[in-house]
Amino acid sequence: MTVALFVFYLLAGVCIAAAVMVVSARNPVHSVLFLILAFFNAAGMFVLAGAEFLAMVLVVVYVGAVAVLFLFVVMMLDIDLTAMREGFLKFLPVGALIGLVLLVELFLVFGTLSVGTAAPIAAAVPVPEGMSNTEALGGVLYTEYFFAFQLAGIILLVAIIGAITLTLRDRGPVKRQDIGRQVHRERPAAVQLRKVDSGKGIG
Amino acid sequence: MPVPVGHFLAVAAILFTLGVFGIFLNRKNIIVILMSIELILLAVNINLIGFSAHLGDLAGQLFAMFVLTVAAAEAAIGLAIVVVVFRARGSIEVADINIMKG
Amino acid sequence: MSQSYLLVALPELFLLAAGLVLLVVGAFKETAAGARLVSNLALGTLAITLVLVLVAAPDRAVAFRGNFVMDGFAGFMKVVVLLGALGTLAIAQPYLRREGIERFEYAVLVIFSTAGMSLLLSANSFLALYISLELMSLPLYVLAAFQRDTYKSTEAGLKYFVLGALASGMLLYGVSLVYGFTGTIFFEELTALYLDEEGAELPLGALVGVVFIAAGLAFKLGAVPFHMWTPDVYEGAPTAVTALFAAAPKLAAMGLTVRVFAEPFGAFVADWQQIIIAVSVGSMVLGAFGAIGQRNIKRLLAYSGIGHVGYALVGLAAGTQSGVYGVLVYMTIYLFMTVGTFGVVLALRRRGQSLEQIDDFAGLGKDQPLLALATAIFMFSLAGIPPLAGFFGKLYVFLAAIEVGLVWLAVIGVLTSVVGAYYYLRIVKLVYFDSAPEALDRGMEPELRGVIAVSAVVTALFVVVPGPILGSARVAAGALFP
Repeated sequence: MTVALFVFYLLAGVCIAAAVMVVSARNPVHSVLFLILAFFNAAGMFVLAGAEFLAMVLVVVYVGAVAVLFLFVVMMLDIDLTAMREGFLKFLPVGALIGLVLLVELFLVFGTLSVGTAAPIAAAVPVPEGMSNTEALGGVLYTEYFFAFQLAGIILLVAIIGAITLTLRDRGPVKRQDIGRQVHRERPAAVQLRKVDSGKGIG
Repeated sequence: MPVPVGHFLAVAAILFTLGVFGIFLNRKNIIVILMSIELILLAVNINLIGFSAHLGDLAGQLFAMFVLTVAAAEAAIGLAIVVVVFRARGSIEVADINIMKG
Repeated sequence: MSQSYLLVALPELFLLAAGLVLLVVGAFKETAAGARLVSNLALGTLAITLVLVLVAAPDRAVAFRGNFVMDGFAGFMKVVVLLGALGTLAIAQPYLRREGIERFEYAVLVIFSTAGMSLLLSANSFLALYISLELMSLPLYVLAAFQRDTYKSTEAGLKYFVLGALASGMLLYGVSLVYGFTGTIFFEELTALYLDEEGAELPLGALVGVVFIAAGLAFKLGAVPFHMWTPDVYEGAPTAVTALFAAAPKLAAMGLTVRVFAEPFGAFVADWQQIIIAVSVGSMVLGAFGAIGQRNIKRLLAYSGIGHVGYALVGLAAGTQSGVYGVLVYMTIYLFMTVGTFGVVLALRRRGQSLEQIDDFAGLGKDQPLLALATAIFMFSLAGIPPLAGFFGKLYVFLAAIEVGLVWLAVIGVLTSVVGAYYYLRIVKLVYFDSAPEALDRGMEPELRGVIAVSAVVTALFVVVPGPILGSARVAAGALFP
């Protein structure tokens, strides 16, 4: 067993164990933390497969952004934890059966064939020699994959519009900053000069 | 490649199954359902990268990159919907969510 | 070279650019009047896009390094989908105003979603397919929850999101397997891979991938066995959004399904035919029997939609050019019937309140004779009674099935149509023979009146002038079978 293989088994084992905990943990906060663990180990597997850039992206985007977003939402919504677990046991047998059948089927497929026999055609974008993974990806991302790249940008914009549309509320009598109004405020509207008689004050 | 592609497929198959399993198991907890969907997408990415390394083809890695991007957008929308459900209802249990009967 | 690239995708580029402009316009005029302005501009945008698609060259052209294809099939389906988006956006305007959810984001999201559908119909690689599918779906999740202060709408949004995300996951898993076992994500390379070999076999892993892809597409189509929450989503979403769901994305998903199975996997009809037949039979049966006993018209239309997808898939199951031709004719006719029916539902009001129960149709014949006539036309057509358009839609798909020896499939189709006719005719009976304690509101907005009138005329007069639809559908189907 080579070192790489050993590391792979370690990463895969922890990743799967963490995934099991994600779906079965009692507390959603724990679920999120286990999700982060699963992502870290998956990133390790990506490195073993030679995809360093994606490994870093996975850590930055998923652990840095998505998982933290999950944490925010879990903590923001005051969830009743005791009620949450009801029904878990009720669905366990059926769910376990479905999962087991699916898994056995998938393994049968992978077991009965060797991937090499499919005689795949020449790779569309062969990995260039003597170039780092990041450089190779960057070389094709803005040329060969320009179309998908632009559309992915539009999708992110749609996500922004959607999230704001759904969650932004006018909170009523809360004082907000209105930069335009502040900048355009003229002197007469802000300052008043009054002649005050001594000893009387402003009535 | 030191690690055979079959290993990657096996890990991905297990994660995919766990994700599907999690959706059906956690009928009461939407947040965990969303996390199960993330697990499914992670399984897809492991598949794509395993194949990419096996075939010596960058297309799989690029595909995985777009899956990551779009999945992040999807997670944002999903969490926004969870927040509005919580505001309108005061709970996010799916079993609770049943004014309408399927 | 680069210039022709952009010309091939001109309608989509225009739609996306217009979406960005509308977003800015809306952001600067954040009032009800601004929302109306954006909505009107969006209608204009969709109309211009429609013209751009119509005047585009009908020849097959590939752009963006094989990711994007424009051919007769894509052109035809784009026209149908754009008509659906245009019609449902027009009838949405008065509804949103009444419900007090008139915000400019609605039109912007519809534009982006429509751009996604249009790109989806031109997808020529699995990467383009996935990205366009998400561009179509993400705005729809938000639109389902658009009435964000009500339980029903937010719940519909949540259910639609979970289902849609699971569907995307399944589809992607299938795509990853197909990629791994064939080495490509481009449709053309997949077709070329098995073109020369007689009796070529798809690798087992790729075949499993095809099954996962079919499951993901069935989710998007709302077909059995992945229909679970479709009725809930249809009932809960704001009615205008439900109309959009029933019209545009369903058609785009159907166009995509036809392309995926006819083009890259066209050589393996025997492999995927059984899947399509199973989904088709399940959908027809569930659509017919599930609708019985429904009291809410939106739920009824959800089951009806499941059934209609089943009928259209009969054509695809045939796996021939005439089968695809039948699917195209069916979906076009389905579009007009559905948009018209939702127009009627939106026009149904009593004391300014929108009505959703089937019993509320009672007395319509007395209160609004013209609207009642339109309702009767749509119901008879949905039931597939000649000489209305719905009959011909079914006729062509069943004929295609019989041609390839799938007589039993056509028989099931006819039998479930008979069962389905029961609940459509029940509505006609309510309209003309029952009376309600209180009269329905008279009068409706001009947009609503126009859309209902156009749909009713097309549905009723298809038998007289079938040429335009049949002719262009034939050309479009031919584009997939060179």
